[in-house]
Amino acid sequence: MGRALLKSLGPKPLDLAIETIDLTKRYGSLVAVNRLNLRVGKGTIHGFLGPNGAGKTTTIKILVGLLKPDGGRAIVLGEEVHGDNPRSRLKIGYMPELPKFPRHLKGWELLDIYGQMYGMPLQERRTRIKRLMELVGLKGRENDLIGEYSKGMQQRLGIAQALLSEPELVILDEPSLGLDPVGMVEVREIIREIAREGVTVFLSSHLLSEVEQVCTHISIIHRGVCLAEGPLKDIISKISGSAILEVEVAETPDKIVEAVKRLPFVSNIHVEGSRVIIETNANGDVRPQISRAIIEAGGTIIYMNLRMRSLEETFMRLIMKSR
Amino acid sequence: MNFEDKSWSREPKLMRQLWAVIKYELLWNIRKKKFLGVLIVAFAITTLNLTLPVILRRTYDMPIESNPNYIVSNSGIGGLMLFLFALVTVMNSISGEFESGTIVPLLTKPISRTLILIGKIAAAFITIFAAYLLLYTYMIVGGTIIYGPQNNLDLTPLCILGDLLSTFVWVSIILALGSLTKNTILTSVIAIMVFLAMNIGSSIISVFTESAWMLHYLPGNGAAGYIKVEGQPTAYAGSISTGTDNITKMIIQYYLHPSANVTYVKVELRGGSPQGGLSSLLKELYSEPLSLVLFRAISVAAAYIIALITLAWYIFKRAQILE
Repeated sequence: MGRALLKSLGPKPLDLAIETIDLTKRYGSLVAVNRLNLRVGKGTIHGFLGPNGAGKTTTIKILVGLLKPDGGRAIVLGEEVHGDNPRSRLKIGYMPELPKFPRHLKGWELLDIYGQMYGMPLQERRTRIKRLMELVGLKGRENDLIGEYSKGMQQRLGIAQALLSEPELVILDEPSLGLDPVGMVEVREIIREIAREGVTVFLSSHLLSEVEQVCTHISIIHRGVCLAEGPLKDIISKISGSAILEVEVAETPDKIVEAVKRLPFVSNIHVEGSRVIIETNANGDVRPQISRAIIEAGGTIIYMNLRMRSLEETFMRLIMKSR
Repeated sequence: MNFEDKSWSREPKLMRQLWAVIKYELLWNIRKKKFLGVLIVAFAITTLNLTLPVILRRTYDMPIESNPNYIVSNSGIGGLMLFLFALVTVMNSISGEFESGTIVPLLTKPISRTLILIGKIAAAFITIFAAYLLLYTYMIVGGTIIYGPQNNLDLTPLCILGDLLSTFVWVSIILALGSLTKNTILTSVIAIMVFLAMNIGSSIISVFTESAWMLHYLPGNGAAGYIKVEGQPTAYAGSISTGTDNITKMIIQYYLHPSANVTYVKVELRGGSPQGGLSSLLKELYSEPLSLVLFRAISVAAAYIIALITLAWYIFKRAQILE
């Protein structure tokens, strides 16, 4: 199913920020990434999802050059990732999961040194560091040693260093981990802001609600294999159906069930007492058509509620299916 | 925040990147409490060396005589201090980065691992050079104030270079161990064991066996011998150790006695006579020109440095970041 979705929903090869072809990584006998084919379109906010041990962090580490694949290829912004190839990291900003920085450096010193590594001129570094510190909420703490930063502050510094070089691709591994609710909202806003500027964001997160709120596209992997990939809404509707309609009727619902079943967008229907639960595949709001069908079948509607499918349901459905 | 106002090119200059790594490492070195501790101990020992003879002479009401050869006869940082400077400077240069996780953001910058290692070694060189420069300046100023104008001060740059070469044998051993173990405690313990084995072992081999030749090719104190100057009434101009830790002392002796020979001796516990004293216990083994001994010590030190730094580079270049 993953391959089919990949073919039908994925972006054209020229527009790809990340592409992996049969990417494989083994740790002894454990296959962490198994012939993974990943396609991340430029300019998208792409969520990278999977349960613990699915191979997300391993894949990301291969993309940024921390691990060497045992097979397959990884291409990032047109540059093949192989061995110690600094060029492939030139346009990438990467924030690792729970980033750790040298405790002996001050916040601005770290960003200044990293900026030099990207070849940024002094004036550019100064201006950018000042703006980034403001953006991530570390203004006023830039002269403190990182050893004195809290976990959340180090997380914020991690975001700042990932955005330092004005990258074309930002890879964020669990950016909200360790942040308070305000910080989480701020991170989501930063992600949206950089994406508005045309930067591709590749976001690995356990927080499905966060992914649902910010991502335009997703990939779901499990046991190193891509189960689904494409635009978020399309994946949800293809796997879980678009919406669930809950209708409470006054009469015995048998006749109503028959009438509703005949509607082309209804994928599943079941009855719980006087309530009829209708699963649909339609993209738009289908309440008028369903109301009409019930009334024409002689039913009286007491209550109707439309609930869109969540990413969590889709995710769980996919993972359970692949077990 | 505008992410599209980039006015700098994405072609970082190697020298700018190298300077960034040196700065990153230097700021670490000078803020290390262990390094500052060893520097304070070295200054304390130098102070004691300068003032103890004065204090003793004052205590016993003896006049303080001028000594124009004080500096030349006290130059050369002792083997233990050389080792300690090397240990505290680079013990966690590589292993500490892996242990703390700070290696992750560093390796994902567009800079090659080779350049990172070169930067770390350059920073260690600058740090130790600065420490030795301070120590020698302190010794020269103090020696001149206490013992009057000094002879052969033009030898000081060579002495510092000799001490740096000796220190870098230990630096390369510790860097190679750090790359192999990726554990600071293990690196330090093994390095201390190697240092003790080389010093205790070399003393035993040198004094009690006829196999002192092997010590010419090991790091550390080396074989013990006497400087013999042909044609002088007192044939022995002083004792000398010929290992990589004593390059500075050999440089001074070579400068003072360019045509001297080094005679190696061993102790024969059963061969002495009560009338002959300690010298009757010594058995001369063989002699060789001091120039050859010095050249060999410098070559052995250089060989160790090149081989071990190459090993550290090979391991560092191929290291994968699993955690």
